[in-house]
Amino acid sequence: MFICKDVVENIMDYIDSELDLETLKELEKHTGDCPECMAFVSTYRKMLEITGKLKDKPFVTPEIRNRLKILLESKLKPV
Amino acid sequence: MEIGFIKKLISVIATNDNEQITRISDDELIRRYTQTRDEALFDEIVNRYSDKIYGFALRITRNASDAEEVFQEVFLTLAKKLDTFRGESKFSSWLYRVTVNASYMYLRSQKKHENNISLENYSPYDEKGTLMGRIMYKDWSSRPDIIIFNKEALIIIEKAINELPESYRTVFHLRDIEGLSNEEVSEILEISIPAVKSRLHRARLFLRDKLSDYFHEWRK
Repeated sequence: MFICKDVVENIMDYIDSELDLETLKELEKHTGDCPECMAFVSTYRKMLEITGKLKDKPFVTPEIRNRLKILLESKLKPV
Repeated sequence: MEIGFIKKLISVIATNDNEQITRISDDELIRRYTQTRDEALFDEIVNRYSDKIYGFALRITRNASDAEEVFQEVFLTLAKKLDTFRGESKFSSWLYRVTVNASYMYLRSQKKHENNISLENYSPYDEKGTLMGRIMYKDWSSRPDIIIFNKEALIIIEKAINELPESYRTVFHLRDIEGLSNEEVSEILEISIPAVKSRLHRARLFLRDKLSDYFHEWRK
């Protein structure tokens, strides 16, 4: 029988839909009966949504780009 | 009149070339650059990868000026040694690998050593394996999106990621922020796939807890 620890330790495969059918059934049965695990799964999913927002964040300003250009020109130009 | 026409023609050709460059695959871009050393092709590589490289270097070093040093070193290496890229892995994986190496080398040269604490025993459950009384009272998942996805929450998550030990931080960054596969992360960081999964698992547990604390405090 599943306990909360099993939900936590299988959460990654659960989110990625990689659990075998038997484990999936056990996990969902326990989560359905356990509000703590239900809250754990929901907040885990939301956390992934938030971190997904960090993708494609711009970092390189025109100034950084310009400094790179100057460096490459100085280092790569034939003497 | 004639000069004006020729200038216009050159500008149209250049625009078409630029449009074509942005559409070609990484492999084709690299192949053409190593053959021609055309500056426009190198610029396109920088356009495609500068934010990714700088972002990854910043994640490893956690310092903007260190990240810029690494960023410059990576593109300098790229300009000099791109012809050593054999195409055995994806170009992006090779570039991330160059970034990891450049970051570690830079940090070593600056004698900036980070103690790599293990999170292998980090877990939200108690010694009996139960979450009883630990999660629900801080459940923030049903908060409106305007609160969950606000700027401050993103700053909190950035800070929390930077609190992760380096070996967890790099895995988390490549896997959950850059969206790479376990296999790609394993290749870039030269660790096994089970190690990637294990570090990612602990990093996520740590970050979920940090966000729960933040949203719980925010409600008070």
